[in-house]
Amino acid sequence: MDAFTPTALLSLPGWGSFLLTVLTIAGIYSLLTLGLNIHYGYTGLINFGHVAFFAAGAYTAALLTVPPPAQVSGAEYVFGLNLPMPLGLPISLVAAAVVGGLLATLIGATSVRLGSHYLAVATFALAGIFGSVLENEAWLTNGSFGLNSVPKPGRAAMSADTWAVTYFVFVVVVLVVVAFVLSRLTGSPFGRLLKGVRESEDAAQMLGKNTIRVKLTSFAIGGAVAGLAGGLYAHYVGSVVVQQFVPAVTFTVWAALLLGGVASNTGAVFGAFLLVGFRESTRFLTNIYDSLLASLPTVAADALRLAVEPLPDHASFVPSLRFVVIGLLIVLVIRYRPEGVFGDPNEIDAIGEED
Amino acid sequence: MVAFVTQFIQTLIYGLIEGSVISVGAVGLTLSYGVTRFINFAYGEFLTYGAYLALFLSGAGLGLSLPLPVATVVAVLVVGAFGVGVSRVFFEPLSDRGPLPLLITSIGVAFILRYALTATVGVSAKQLPVPLMRPVEVFGVGTTPLRAAVFLVAIATMLLIHVLLTYTMLGKTMRATSGNRNLAEIAGIDTDGVVRRTWFISAGAGALAGVLYAVLFAPFRPTVGFEYLIVIFAATLLGGIGRPYGAMLGAIIVGVAMSLGTTYLSAEYTMAYAFAILVGVLLFKPDGIAGGEI
Repeated sequence: MDAFTPTALLSLPGWGSFLLTVLTIAGIYSLLTLGLNIHYGYTGLINFGHVAFFAAGAYTAALLTVPPPAQVSGAEYVFGLNLPMPLGLPISLVAAAVVGGLLATLIGATSVRLGSHYLAVATFALAGIFGSVLENEAWLTNGSFGLNSVPKPGRAAMSADTWAVTYFVFVVVVLVVVAFVLSRLTGSPFGRLLKGVRESEDAAQMLGKNTIRVKLTSFAIGGAVAGLAGGLYAHYVGSVVVQQFVPAVTFTVWAALLLGGVASNTGAVFGAFLLVGFRESTRFLTNIYDSLLASLPTVAADALRLAVEPLPDHASFVPSLRFVVIGLLIVLVIRYRPEGVFGDPNEIDAIGEED
Repeated sequence: MVAFVTQFIQTLIYGLIEGSVISVGAVGLTLSYGVTRFINFAYGEFLTYGAYLALFLSGAGLGLSLPLPVATVVAVLVVGAFGVGVSRVFFEPLSDRGPLPLLITSIGVAFILRYALTATVGVSAKQLPVPLMRPVEVFGVGTTPLRAAVFLVAIATMLLIHVLLTYTMLGKTMRATSGNRNLAEIAGIDTDGVVRRTWFISAGAGALAGVLYAVLFAPFRPTVGFEYLIVIFAATLLGGIGRPYGAMLGAIIVGVAMSLGTTYLSAEYTMAYAFAILVGVLLFKPDGIAGGEI
């Protein structure tokens, strides 16, 4: 490879490419949060299974673009469409969104007629079962090994860093387009209808609106956005594995939405960046600790060591604390600032008045 | 033919045993729903805490080695009191804000409790100190004395809750509060006190279900309660939420269905059978199968 190709033009320092990774993932989570915002923020639907739509999109994109199993050693799956990249990318992403939306419609059909508690339980349970289907139907999903040769579009033509920048820009463009479309949608008569259903389903019905269909449409739109996020994620990471799609994803998105501000698209994006930034940066706590020990004067290092000593010494300590913080965040925001950072308190009053 | 009948009966027995464990958890969940009117997603953590506390008290970690039944009783009481504390800290301050804030808060509480536990004890699988036993069989069907004991404890708990609800003042005030809280309050019932005592019973039942589950399906991890939540939800909704007797019946049906499905359809989808029931209930009979009030 000679120096005149674009591959050599860009080279990021380690922290730079880490930052880029965090920002790209945050962009993808912003889409997830925007999708959930349509469900909960605008329509008042409690969806505790958001990760299922994300997973559905990711697996759809993967299955459309992975090479057929004959070309992969140890493959258990029987279906890989091997769409060429990067031309196949739009098809794969649109399909991801469509499948996410279809799955949401299917689940919605079982439970949007019912109260929010039933919907919460149904979506939560469905996501659990969907996860176990993904794990057990190895003929489709390659089981717990996952699909690990999802193509990264355009990667072959560029250096790793150039590709990372390009894909980040692509994610941001998609995010801006989706956010624009959603804000037009929520500002339109249909958006007011969503809010109307949120505030008083009876009143909307009295006005002759088919509230069930409104709720189903809301569910489908949010699910499609989450599916699209799944497609972007699959092509970014290059593999889809069941362990990526656990309930913790759903509730990280919830924390992001509540923190950013329910029924605010700006808030949703802000919350997603903050949450993902927090989650990824705490990966380095132990490194920071080690380098502190090495660089501090002996007395201070000893004091630090002594202060840390009573803490449990196992690998899941720091990752667990991360989720304790996310849980606390949910509790505290609901209790002390239910409108989040960017939300409007008047909108919040309207959610949750039912029965 | 004989082999088929034997296997079928054996499957039913396993289903009844698991159903009895589910019913302890489902009754606990449904009782607290009756007086608080929100589905507590942190309920699974009471199962987990019960199982871990019994583990610590009966051998691992704390230098204690109480006999398992004693450890179980202590765990039930401690987790019961803990449940009251959780309610006072997290849920009571929100009690006048409608069901949705409580529901969402319960997710946050579930995360706090579960990951505080994994931060402390790690994620490795643990096992209660229970002996390996040979099954006692009659005509080729039967079960181990241990599993039989689990079944009997669960049934005894159901009877106890029945007596509590039907014959004691606490049970009557619980039913009154569940039926109409304002009316109960006007009638002079200390509804806040009733709610707290219900939390104690509910969390204690959760802890017991956790221990029984850990005895049946050792080993377990800190995610055990959260994972079992779907099954408990299925039983609770099948019985009609807020109805203890419905929850008992729902639990037995879910337990047997899971057992039959695992034996005759596919062993990989135990939880999915519970979920299929859940979806069926939501679609066709959202009020559950059991009529009447608690």
